[in-house]
Formats: sequence, C-alpha cells, structure tokens
Amino acid sequence: MNNAARIPQKLASTATEQLAKFGRDTPGIGLAVLSTTDGFEVATYKAERAVSAKMAAMGSSLQALSEAITREAGLKAARKLIIESDNGAVLALGINECKPAMSLVVVADKSASLGHLLWSAKLCCASVVRAVNGS
Amino acid sequence: MTDMPELKLVFTGPMGAGKTTAIAAISDMAPVLTDVANSDRAAFDKDSTTVALDYGQLSLDDGTVVRLYGTPGQERFGFMRTILCRGAIGIILLLDGSRDDAISSLDDFLGGIRKLDPMPATVIGVGRCGSSDAPVLVRAKHHLQQLGLTLPMFRVDVRRREDVLLLVETLVCLLEAGAGPETMQ
Repeated sequence: MNNAARIPQKLASTATEQLAKFGRDTPGIGLAVLSTTDGFEVATYKAERAVSAKMAAMGSSLQALSEAITREAGLKAARKLIIESDNGAVLALGINECKPAMSLVVVADKSASLGHLLWSAKLCCASVVRAVNGS
Repeated sequence: MTDMPELKLVFTGPMGAGKTTAIAAISDMAPVLTDVANSDRAAFDKDSTTVALDYGQLSLDDGTVVRLYGTPGQERFGFMRTILCRGAIGIILLLDGSRDDAISSLDDFLGGIRKLDPMPATVIGVGRCGSSDAPVLVRAKHHLQQLGLTLPMFRVDVRRREDVLLLVETLVCLLEAGAGPETMQ
C-alpha cells in the first residue's frame, strides 16, 4: 500500500523537513525513520527504501514492546527506548500526542553524544506533533 | 522458575487469522498484547493489529505450563516470527478460511516453518470456513498432500476456548508421541 494513501502528502513533507533539520543539527545521526505505530514509513532521513521499511517495522515493534513492558511493570506510558552498542546507539521514541500516533527510530554512530541526541530527538518529536496537529 | 515441565508454543498465521483472540481465549492470565491502531485497512479491515508479540500462559491438568506466544501476521514483521520461534517446540498455524488467499497464506507460513531446524510439531486451525467439508479445507488438505505433509488440521472458532484447547492438546499429544517432523512429513 502506498503511504500516500494513509498519510497526507503535506504531513509527510512537513515531517521530512523536520527530520532533515534534526539530522543537520545533530552530529552522529546515521539515519532516522518516522513511522506509523503499525510500522509504515511516514518520513525518512538518510534511509534507503529497503532499510527504512525494516527500521519502520522494527521501530514499531520496539515501541510496542516498550509500552507493554512498562504497562506490565505498572509504570506510566513508555517514552523512549535506548539501545547502546559498541559503535553507536539506537533510539525508539513514541509520539502519542498526535493523531495518528507515530514512532521515531534514530540510529547514531559513536560520535553522537547521547544527551544531545535525546534532547534533539525530543525537540524533533515535539515539532512533528505541532506539524501534525496544526495541519 | 518452576519444577513443572514447560512448553513454548507459537501461534502464527496471517493478519486477521485470530492469533491474539486465540491466546486470549485460553490464557490463564490477562495476555500481554502489543496491539496498535491498524492503518492498513486495505490489507485487513480491523481496528488494531499486533506489531511485536502476544504472550499468555496456560496450565494443563498435569501441571505442564504452556507458554503461548503470538506473532504479528504481516510479512514486514517477519523478523519477530524468527525471534519468537526460537526454542518453540510446537506451532499452531491459524488461517482465515474466508479469504481468497488462504491457501497462499498456508503455503507462505508453512514455508517459513519448514525452514526451522528442527521443524517444530505443527497443527493447523482454519477459522471462518463454515462446514467441515468447506472447499477451503479440502484445498488445504490437498495442498498439504502435495507438499508431502500430514499435519493435523481443524476447523476452529478461535473465540471458543474449547476449539483453541483442541489445537493445543493435539500439539501436546503429538509431542508426547514423539511425532517430530520426520513422522509428520
């Protein structure tokens, strides 16, 4: 199914601009994929189609698992998942304040500062929410 | 941890086949769900869809604890099926018999199951297919024969606990009888 059928083109374009700004302003980002919560790409940054499709699906699974585990643990809604590796980090963030709800997956290399990455990703999510809710 | 024997079973099958419903029908605990809003109404017209896993648990009369895992149905979540099938000793393949692509789904999912080494014991449940001699069941049996497989197959309503228990108990019987893939092929 074409993403255009489920995500308005204007929203996808705006989200793509937000991801590009996020990528420009944040050192170390390898790729970023914004997706629906059921794993379809909405916007991508530096990700080819085959990679972005996988990242969108995996990101939505990670986000759903994060929410399931926090729910089972009696905690409030999951905000973000951080995976640190020897060569970098992966973030999965839920964006539940907008409709449709979305997930953002970010892959960064080890040159990225995790604190900066988290702060910048949070700003990116907030800008996506503003763009979606204002559109 | 428990001293009682434990089994890991995986419910798999295409989107909308009833995996989440089947696990909820027999689990002793409220299942762990990872359902989200379904934005792909063209693929299947339902409100929500599983994107990571379902998890439930069932205690059999002999004390055996069965851990029930459900996979997402869509191909893009195939990586979750690979993860969830690790260590599974049995697979319940659910199909929606009302869909035109039921046999193609059977073929696709069996292809994945047969690639597992060793191939776990497998039972097939077909829902929404009407009578026990429904054409889809006949075609499915014929397809299994063509593949050289003799797998138990039942018409089921996954909302009914007894129907889903039948699938699980059949699988447990196969395992107890030592019916590995060699005897099923």
